[in-house]
Amino acid sequence: MNTYDIEDLYTGQTEQFETEISSEMFDAFRAFTCDTNPLHCDEDYAKNRGFKGRVAYGMLTASFLSTLAGVFLPGERSIIQSVDVRFPRPVYEGDILLVRGTVTEIHESVRQITVAVEIKNQRDESVLKGKMKVGVRNG
Amino acid sequence: MPHEEIMQKIGEIFCEVFDDDSLVITEQTSAKDIEDWDSLMNINLIAAMEDTFGIRFALKEVSDMQCVGDAADIIERKYAGT
Repeated sequence: MNTYDIEDLYTGQTEQFETEISSEMFDAFRAFTCDTNPLHCDEDYAKNRGFKGRVAYGMLTASFLSTLAGVFLPGERSIIQSVDVRFPRPVYEGDILLVRGTVTEIHESVRQITVAVEIKNQRDESVLKGKMKVGVRNG
Repeated sequence: MPHEEIMQKIGEIFCEVFDDDSLVITEQTSAKDIEDWDSLMNINLIAAMEDTFGIRFALKEVSDMQCVGDAADIIERKYAGT
């Protein structure tokens, strides 16, 4: 886990990691959110509506922004203040996602950074884009 | 930049940050006048002012601000180079 303080960060700084979307992730997300929408739970339902298979929950994809902030950028001192994202393409079971954040603004006076975020699949297609404002806690 | 123009831009920033075009911001406006003005919104206001005016506040400047007029005064001084 990174432990960046506000003065350690710089505009253009990038952190990234990979994760594979598994069937167990679908199940766990459904279990604790109680989102039983068939688009996420029923393979045939999703295929009959033009998708390749069950579509991953958008918020499951977005949940990796928590890891990006809390483990990588800035890491331990992180507290997410806002997230603004869109989902240009669906994510499926077995997709390998590259989660990347780049610091675009630093406000030292209020210990806040803005991070441009993007998640791409194994075909280099963007499946999430947006920005996140993250506080960098003082100690 | 004239003080009046700074206040006008600050007013626009408040409307955008609070997503409320009906807000009327004066020199005396403070956190007690706007229900949603909490610590997180204060961070967003300061960050938006820094971006809009292309300046950076010092930590002490932020902690000493009591009302909108205080922020406008600091911005005006930064533009004047004093």
